[in-house]
Amino acid sequence: MSGYLSRHAQVLLATLGDMLREPVASALAIAVIGITLALPAGLFTALANVQRLSTGWQRSAAFSVYLHRQTPAPRQIATAIGRLPGVKSVAYVSPAAGLALFRRLSGFGPALATLHSNPLPPVVLVTPRRETPSALAQLTHALQRVPGVASVQSDLHWLERLQAGLALGRRLALLLTALLGLAVLLILGNTIRVAVMNRATEIEVIQLVGGTDRFIRRPFLYAGALQGILGALAAFVIVEIAVLILDGPVRHLADLYGSPYRLQGLGLHGLLWLVLGGGALGWTGSRLAVARELRRRRLA
Amino acid sequence: MIELRHVFKRYHGGADVLTDINFTIEDGEMVFLTGPSGAGKSTLLKLIALIERPTRGQISVNGRDLAKLSRRRIPAFRREIGVVFQDNKLLNDRTLFDNVALPLIVRGVTGDELRRRVHAALDKVGLLARARNHPLTLSGGEQQRVGIARAITNRPPLLIADEPTGNLDAALSDEVIDLFSDFHAHGTTVLIATHEKRHIERLRKRVITLRKDHSLEAA
Repeated sequence: MSGYLSRHAQVLLATLGDMLREPVASALAIAVIGITLALPAGLFTALANVQRLSTGWQRSAAFSVYLHRQTPAPRQIATAIGRLPGVKSVAYVSPAAGLALFRRLSGFGPALATLHSNPLPPVVLVTPRRETPSALAQLTHALQRVPGVASVQSDLHWLERLQAGLALGRRLALLLTALLGLAVLLILGNTIRVAVMNRATEIEVIQLVGGTDRFIRRPFLYAGALQGILGALAAFVIVEIAVLILDGPVRHLADLYGSPYRLQGLGLHGLLWLVLGGGALGWTGSRLAVARELRRRRLA
Repeated sequence: MIELRHVFKRYHGGADVLTDINFTIEDGEMVFLTGPSGAGKSTLLKLIALIERPTRGQISVNGRDLAKLSRRRIPAFRREIGVVFQDNKLLNDRTLFDNVALPLIVRGVTGDELRRRVHAALDKVGLLARARNHPLTLSGGEQQRVGIARAITNRPPLLIADEPTGNLDAALSDEVIDLFSDFHAHGTTVLIATHEKRHIERLRKRVITLRKDHSLEAA
């Protein structure tokens, strides 16, 4: 067993040595794989960030219930709404509070000062207990029937659309991952094929002295897996640099909206997946390429 | 050790290279295979070493019917035969040590045993002092001897050599043939293809002759 391990360690070292002997070619191959893997990895990172953005919103109120402006006792209505089944919590925003908020956030302060009366209705912000489509539809219905309610506006429609968009985005990302994974497989396969051709004499001699296909394959599999893993690390660096470049503007934008939102990179989890994926693609790509070459070069 | 029955060989789209070859070589025999160039000597050796397959006929080596040998068993079969090639087939980017070690490395021999056996083989052909050199720094005769060392590191029961004295002068040529004769004396079955009548007359071993028409001359 230790002989087996030391033999593998030897092959791995020899493979590293081979790559270092051709630094430019190796670096180019790794860069191509890195860029190819960076595209789906970047897309997944972007999706994860949008997803985080929307879950942040979901925690705030989901319904804005507008009351009639002439309603005599809006606070009582808010309390009544709070007692409806399916309502988790309510917050009452009086016309005066609404106007103050609007004045502060919109920047229309001086223009608003010219108004003779407050045009805003009283509003009840409702957070539902459950967010399933049927529960929300039921609640909308119940809210509309409360006396004094003028209209019910759901923020969740918007979120649903966002979720649907995200689902589409994820599907597209998977499709792109499959395609670019195939591209990496082909790129690596070709690199390994060239490597096999460069060592044709060596392979022939090994076959002549009784080396098995497995023995011949081993260094190429290591080379493929190693290039895949290094390519994955390159992709990780590319995505992290992109996140770093975008972080400043996103931070500025979030600050303007008064949000503590920050971009997140791939993280340890993403790095692990990338490396595993890159290694597996490299191994498979070279396995396929070497198998084909060995079939072609078979003696007898 | 080697038995051929009605063996024919024709390369794809070519003429016959061997026609109806029949012979037997016993365990421990030393035999010269001779004949004019183009008679099919190299092809015959390749069939025995399972580098080529016959178009027709039966070949059995070391008790195995080569036609029935599965692809997976070919490497194990080749390890039982030491082959010295006409063009040496040395790896020029590796040292003599690494070249001679290759048949042992593919079998998983490592460490001290590997070193001991490679050194023994290089010593046998008188090149131990140059173990760290590369083949291209050697003369033609020396390269030929490296090929022989590589063929014997596995201590195979059968040694096959294709024109091992092809580009050597008389003295070196005799030295190489004596080397094979020595292995034969230690029990190895030896089959050497050569067109040099001198060795055949000097050593007085059995001779198998291929004629220009690719058939076997009656012994």
